[in-house]
Amino acid sequence: MLSRLLREFLYYLVHLIVNVLVSLKHCYRRFHNKNHCLSQKQVTKTDVLTLLEKVPKLQKSLKHLVVLTNTDVHSTSDLAKLVIWSLIVGVPYVSFYDITGNLKTKEKDLFFEIEKNKKGIPGCIKWSNKRQLNGYTYGVQGNTVYINIFSYSDGKPKIVNCVKDIAEDKLFCERSSDEFTANEFDEALRKHYPNIPEPELVLYTGPLCCTNGLLPWQIRLSEFVQISYNNNINVNNFLGALNKYCKCDQRFGK
Amino acid sequence: MDGNRRYAKKNSFECTVGHYKGFDKLSECLKWCLDLGIPEVTVYAFSIENFKRSKKEVDALTELAREKFQRLLDEIDQINEWGVRLNVAGRLCLFPHDLQVLISKVMLATKHNNKLQLNIAYAYTGRDEISRAASHIVDGLKRKEISPDDVNEHLMSQALDLGEPDLLVRTSGEVRLSDFMLWQISNTVLYFTDVLWPEFSIWNLLAAIIHFQRHSPPIIEEKENSPVIEKFLRKLEDTKWQQLEKIVAC
Repeated sequence: MLSRLLREFLYYLVHLIVNVLVSLKHCYRRFHNKNHCLSQKQVTKTDVLTLLEKVPKLQKSLKHLVVLTNTDVHSTSDLAKLVIWSLIVGVPYVSFYDITGNLKTKEKDLFFEIEKNKKGIPGCIKWSNKRQLNGYTYGVQGNTVYINIFSYSDGKPKIVNCVKDIAEDKLFCERSSDEFTANEFDEALRKHYPNIPEPELVLYTGPLCCTNGLLPWQIRLSEFVQISYNNNINVNNFLGALNKYCKCDQRFGK
Repeated sequence: MDGNRRYAKKNSFECTVGHYKGFDKLSECLKWCLDLGIPEVTVYAFSIENFKRSKKEVDALTELAREKFQRLLDEIDQINEWGVRLNVAGRLCLFPHDLQVLISKVMLATKHNNKLQLNIAYAYTGRDEISRAASHIVDGLKRKEISPDDVNEHLMSQALDLGEPDLLVRTSGEVRLSDFMLWQISNTVLYFTDVLWPEFSIWNLLAAIIHFQRHSPPIIEEKENSPVIEKFLRKLEDTKWQQLEKIVAC
């Protein structure tokens, strides 16, 4: 009994101390970054200039960026800014992983917000699952960004459906030995997924890094980078995250 | 358990020395986990992709595994006294036969222990594990042991070698999964730290645990299995043990 009470006391004491330390760290950061942390609702001219200046210094190209999106803390204008910055940087695929399941219902808002932010910036935004919105692209200069919204159902449930389809011979999966190899199963799964590169960078905000079921098959080599410790998204922490990604060295098992 | 080679380079040791130091750290870390009352620990020891490394390094790592599993067998009474259950997850057939025998023996000998389960992912990748589980479920469906309605995420999870972790620690500053437990980590706290694995201390472990306690997502309640699924999973488990016994008898 006593040892249980003592343990509980220690637990609360340790967490109290950690909470105080973390709060102090946040206060310091807020004070320190006072001038840089102002989040604008729209993409500003300064954002564009900062990106154009810093981007050529990025060593590694990024093909597919995924943002772990929680609609409770991320506004559509935050997401729109990320799309426009990616357009300027030249990231061809930007996907949002809809954690709460509310982003799909806000897709229209996101579309308008992106259009509003895009004004004056060359390039093209395409929606992978809403082709009617895409319009013509003849003679367009600049980069193209393809937007996807993924949710939980694109992960495990889809793989489970593939397994059922294989068993019912609706989906072909080669089997050279007793058990499927990863390559054989991958070939079969590819037929159920859009033909886009695997996510190379997954951005999240806040202290917790958790995939929440994001595309389990595709994230094996994705780098998980925190964009900000709070839920603030601005051009400086976006560039910071890209820099961190560029420093990641993949060895592919070697 | 990343950073053995970087540790060796930093301290001007040979690469193999780094791996040995890494192994020592593993035993030390397991002791901490036992003391802290953590009932299950999984380590990523060797990926299928690691076979791409130089022959010299792969051979050295195989030799290290051979030596350590033999030692485990020699000290099996002590391990049984501690109640440690050893489970090696991965594509067994990729190991040399003698190592397969050693691993099977250790797994069979510790089968009934239940204080601490140590899972060693060896010749493992998450994709490979999912593919193998998929094959077993496809077979079950084809043999009509289960019906398509029985097949869901929960069944897939249980057909895998490894269970779902609460906390995943990756050392040496890497911030990716490298094909580890892809299916299982959907609700896991991922903790990335810059410290190299051989330099990992109890304070690093405690920091990871405190981080987990502060931020762990709510636990998802597990559903109970139907008798049909129970039977199917039991059969899968039995087949696994029979295969191990066969390897030992060979």
